[in-house]
Amino acid sequence: MGEMIFEASGLTKEFGAVTALRDVSLTLTGPSIIGLIGRNASGKTTLLRHIVGLQLPTRGRARTLGVATRSLQHEQLARIGMVPDAPTFIRWMSVREQLRYLSAFYPRWDMERQSSLGGLLDLDLHADISGLSTGSAQKLAIVAALCHHPDLILLDEPVSNLDPIARDQFLKLLLDIVQEDNATIVISSHVLHDIESTVDWIVCMNAGAVAADAALDDLKDQYAEWRVLARTRDLPDRFYDPFVVRQTVMEPRRARLVVRTADADLLAFQRTHDADVEVAPLNLQGLFPILVDNGRH
Amino acid sequence: MLITIDVHSGVPAYRQLVDQIRLQVAGGRLQPGDEIPSTRALSAELGLNPMTISRAYALLEEEGILERRPGLPLVVRARSGATTATARGAQLSKALRPLASMARQLGISGKEAGDALRRLIDDHER
Repeated sequence: MGEMIFEASGLTKEFGAVTALRDVSLTLTGPSIIGLIGRNASGKTTLLRHIVGLQLPTRGRARTLGVATRSLQHEQLARIGMVPDAPTFIRWMSVREQLRYLSAFYPRWDMERQSSLGGLLDLDLHADISGLSTGSAQKLAIVAALCHHPDLILLDEPVSNLDPIARDQFLKLLLDIVQEDNATIVISSHVLHDIESTVDWIVCMNAGAVAADAALDDLKDQYAEWRVLARTRDLPDRFYDPFVVRQTVMEPRRARLVVRTADADLLAFQRTHDADVEVAPLNLQGLFPILVDNGRH
Repeated sequence: MLITIDVHSGVPAYRQLVDQIRLQVAGGRLQPGDEIPSTRALSAELGLNPMTISRAYALLEEEGILERRPGLPLVVRARSGATTATARGAQLSKALRPLASMARQLGISGKEAGDALRRLIDDHER
């Protein structure tokens, strides 16, 4: 299993003096729902555009669905669905006309899916494109990207403008689609709370480089928070143990550490500092700053 | 099968799923031969990523708790290791570990903590 969907090696993208992607080596396989996370301007959108060939590398290699992205043909593009960060449509059409227009490009367009997705997201087919709210335009972009049963779906901040109910429906829909079509979905988002139950894989970008690329559940296994309470003597100002990746000494006898679980020795630590340690797991929101930091080293 | 997953707790979702099924088998709430919901059904019910569910099922299969039969739903295995006294004890120890740490922080002795636990169990049975 696991078709290779996208493969980059040494991928670098420069815009004049700005390096948007820095030596990115990455392999995406499916089926999977991949959360593409990172701070603003970390390279998420640029990476998505490179996957579909909207932008081409300055240096390095990028291949999508087995073909170099500078040579993607209709055959590959027809297997990709994309919701861009700022979707644009033909302004004088209605929603229905816009969808009919798009469907002509795709032999696999599924009218049944079009009406079920439209119904699920509460999209008004009769509305004029020119009068669509940001949220409705985003819904249209989602329907437009999914009706041809794409094998690869790229979603650039798709939930940011959806109301809470539409957001929930949309994320559940992704779970359906990944199973129905064996698709690979890459979803970029700042709303970590929303995507946490949906994604199985995380790619975290920082300053144009890949800072983390792992199964979400493995990341959760790899780090933990230690809430340290010293019993008899003050804690050091700083912990130099190699497994401590973040630390805040709150009071002389109280500290909060993030540790790498693989080489953290809890018993030895408790003995050394004569301290009680409460071990707490980290969710995606808690992991995020650690993953971003990783990219710095 | 009743499963509750808190995806924001920080505990990997696949592990929550494995622990809960293991616990239900150990406690007899899931009986040998009982069918386990398909990945698809559970994913729809919990809103949880299907790959995560498959991973949990594969692990339980490896442990000999679930049995996969071609073309049929997964079932709880007839004689699974999870129901032995040792396995049940291991489950309980795991759940008690955070309590032990709290008792220590509160300066409560092992005997006092044990008594408190015994009272709770007795109350529950009454």
